[in-house]
Parts: sequence; structure tokens; C-alpha cells
Amino acid sequence: MTDNRKILILNELDNIAVCLVNMEVGEVIRQDALNLTIQNRIPRGHKVATKAIAKDDGIIKYGERMGHATSDIKIGEHVHTHNVLGDRLSTEQVNMEQKN
Amino acid sequence: MSKQLTAFARADERWGLRNHVLILPLHSALSATARKIADESDGAVAVSHDWSGEVDGDFDRIIKTFSGFAANPNNYATVFITIGTPGELLIIDLAKKLGINKAEVLNVAELGSMSKIAGAGLKIANSLVKEAKAQSRISAPWSAIALGQECGGSDALSGITANPALGVASDRLVELGAASVLGETTEILGAEHLLAARAITPEIGAQIIETVARYERSINYEGIDMRGAQPSRGNIEGGLTTLEEKSLGAAKKAGSAQFSGVLEYADQVPKSGLYFMDTPGHDTEQLTGFAAGGINVVVFTTGRGTPTGSAIMPTIKLATNTTMASAIPDLIDLNAGTIADGIKTLAEVGGELFDLILAVANGQITKAERGLHHEFSLSRMYNTVIK
Repeated sequence: MTDNRKILILNELDNIAVCLVNMEVGEVIRQDALNLTIQNRIPRGHKVATKAIAKDDGIIKYGERMGHATSDIKIGEHVHTHNVLGDRLSTEQVNMEQKN
Repeated sequence: MSKQLTAFARADERWGLRNHVLILPLHSALSATARKIADESDGAVAVSHDWSGEVDGDFDRIIKTFSGFAANPNNYATVFITIGTPGELLIIDLAKKLGINKAEVLNVAELGSMSKIAGAGLKIANSLVKEAKAQSRISAPWSAIALGQECGGSDALSGITANPALGVASDRLVELGAASVLGETTEILGAEHLLAARAITPEIGAQIIETVARYERSINYEGIDMRGAQPSRGNIEGGLTTLEEKSLGAAKKAGSAQFSGVLEYADQVPKSGLYFMDTPGHDTEQLTGFAAGGINVVVFTTGRGTPTGSAIMPTIKLATNTTMASAIPDLIDLNAGTIADGIKTLAEVGGELFDLILAVANGQITKAERGLHHEFSLSRMYNTVIK
């Protein structure tokens, strides 16, 4: 049994972790080898950057690439639709691109 | 605890984790009689279905499903109840080719009334159950386990608790020499290129991609756009950002092992390695296809507590969240919600699940078995045509 954890790291290759509780700005997470300060309010179940991620870098979850950053992301920042896009476009997105 | 696996030996190095006597009606009209025989017997099981021998686009798929289900190594014996159509004879013949342990056939045309069938069926069933109970388990290799992975009633925690915990247990079993099967083509849509990269050969990778593309073409034909609808608004609110992420969460049931092959619906599962089977997202159709492929134990991850099980495959229910697991303990075998509660690690729950799979393989009864959740469903792709 371990102490109650606030974030869940799914794979050591990952540059994000999943928040297990709602996070407030300025909260400090010290868990395993991590030491990070939360930069935005992050709801439970959402992702936080555990490494600095440059624009266009892959977002790695479960040790696999799930998309890429659309802007630079700092450690402790909320990682979601505002700064991430899937590599694989949805049919809707493909249709829109074809129209443009 | 002991890590020794014991099972019932069958021909061709196949192994049963259960020793069922299955009463299998081969026509919908015989379902009630089959059920009556099983209910009155000393422990036989039966399934009901709605197939009446139609020879249409789904004929081959249905024949394959029934023959594989009958020949599943968890069955000590199968008692077929038939009216004697050519389709029925084909099913029995195929089941024998697949290495069915013991087959008995009761023909309505020969025996006459339903009460005669029920009487003869009960006598045979009880004698087979007695034989089955007399057979002992013996020490078995890890390849005796063919694990099916299923998720139903998923929630926002599925991809971070129960599915990856199942992945940990699956990886360990595959490494030891067992077979493990990921299904549900719908669920990997959008992440198939990532799974294909884990195939042992480029050809197998291309098959994974093509299986999903084929499915996508079929739903596009019906005018349904799955990609545009995923991830849904609810998924995004729950924290899922991209389509790849959502499908990776579902595919996490398969851990991180390499894929050794792609199987069609109800294809026989090889003895060792991780496979992808092209199955529908419908829980019961998928479980029936798994059973027909020879899978002998299932782990079913669930966020809502789906009760679905199988007459012949023990089905372990792994909860994604503690709230649901506490609310319906009579349906849940293990709670992976402790990972999200921050109480246990993925590795710890994965280890507990591995131990539970072994205990269930060795005979421990699952909640779904205790609750007699004997669902069975044929998977159809075409309109039913009566000829």
C-alpha cells in the first residue's frame, strides 16, 4: 500500500500525468521523482505536463504518442484541447481541410 | 499463494478451465427444451438463441460460431439438440474437426415429442455431468489459458484504472506463454496505427489497419461517422483530448506486448501470444465470438457494472471506480478504482488481477457464474433471409 497519490503516471516514457483530484494554481506535487507546481486549475481526470513540451512535440500517454502540442507547454500546465491536437484528424476535420 | 495452474486435459494439447456439460439447441424452437434440460439437471448449462437455420449472408458466420462454441475446451461434453437440417449436421461435423471433447446428438425427428427429447436429454445430461465431475484437474502449462479482454459500460476512469491494470496482467500472461485477445474493432478506431506499430511483422500491422478500415467502410456505407463524433463532448469534459487517446485507453487492456496476429470473428485462437480479433462492440456478440474461438477465461472491465457473462467462460468483472464497485459488490470481482483513489498503484492492482485470473482458472467461481449470467448472442452482418 502506498500513500494517497494526487497524480497518476501511466508510463515512465510519458510527458503527462493524470490528475486524481482537482488541482489549484500553486499546488506543489512531490511524488516519486517528481517535484512540480500546478500552473492552472486542472479538473480531476485531466492531464498535467510532467516535462517541458515544445510546440509540435508529441504528447506521450501510456508510453504512446496521442497527439502533438500546438504551443509550448510548461511543467505543471494543464494539457488539453487548448494546447493539443491529435495527429490523426477526424473525418470532420478532413472534410473541412478539403473544403479549404 | 500457489502460482501453479491446473486444468482439464483435452485432445491436441487443449485445456479446459471448466468442465461444463453444454446443452446446445441448433434451432430457435428447441431453446426452451434445452433450457428445461439444463435447469432440471445436476449442473449442465444451456444457451438460447434465435437462429432457425436460415441460409443467408450470415450462414457461414453462424455455423462457425455454433461449432466453435460447442468445441470450446471448457466443455467436457456438448449435447446437440437438432431437427436434422443440413446446417445442423455441418455444425456438428465442424465441432468434431475442431476437437470437441465429447458430442451427443438428440434428434427431434427420431425421438418425436418434446417431452421425449426432454426426458432423453436429462438422462444423458446427468450421466455426462457425473463423468465430468469424476475427471480431475492436472498440472497445466500457461498456454492452457486463452484470455479474452472485454470492456463494457466504460467511464472516464476506464482508460486509467481497469484497462491498464488488465494490460499489466495480460502482459504477464503473454510473457509466460498464455494467449490473450483484444477485440472490439470499434474501440480501437483512431489508434490502429499505434497498435499496428506493435505487430511482430509489417504484414500483421497492415492487417490491423485493414481490419479497422474495413469496419470504417461498412459504417460509412450506413451513413454513420464515428470519427467525427469522437471524442465526444462528455469525453472531453472527462479529460480526454484526442481520438488516439480515447482508443489507446480502450486498447490498454492489451498492455504493451507485441501483436502476434489478427483473427477474424470466432477464429480459433493460437496457444500463445497477443492477438487482435475483429469483433463487434456489442458485449454479448463479442463474448460469444471469443467463446467460439476457444477463449476459456475473460476479464471484463466496467464503469457501470455490466452484469453480462457467458454459460461456458468464467468472466471476471473488474470495476473502474470505487463508487460503483461498492454499490454492486455482487457483480464485481475486483476493484481497480483504488488506483484513481490514490490508494494502490497500477502494478499492485495488475498483480492482484493476475492472481485472481489464476485462482479463477483453477476453479474459483466468478460473480457472473454465481449469478448465472449465461448470455449468448449471434453476430449478424446482413439482413436475415428466410428461404
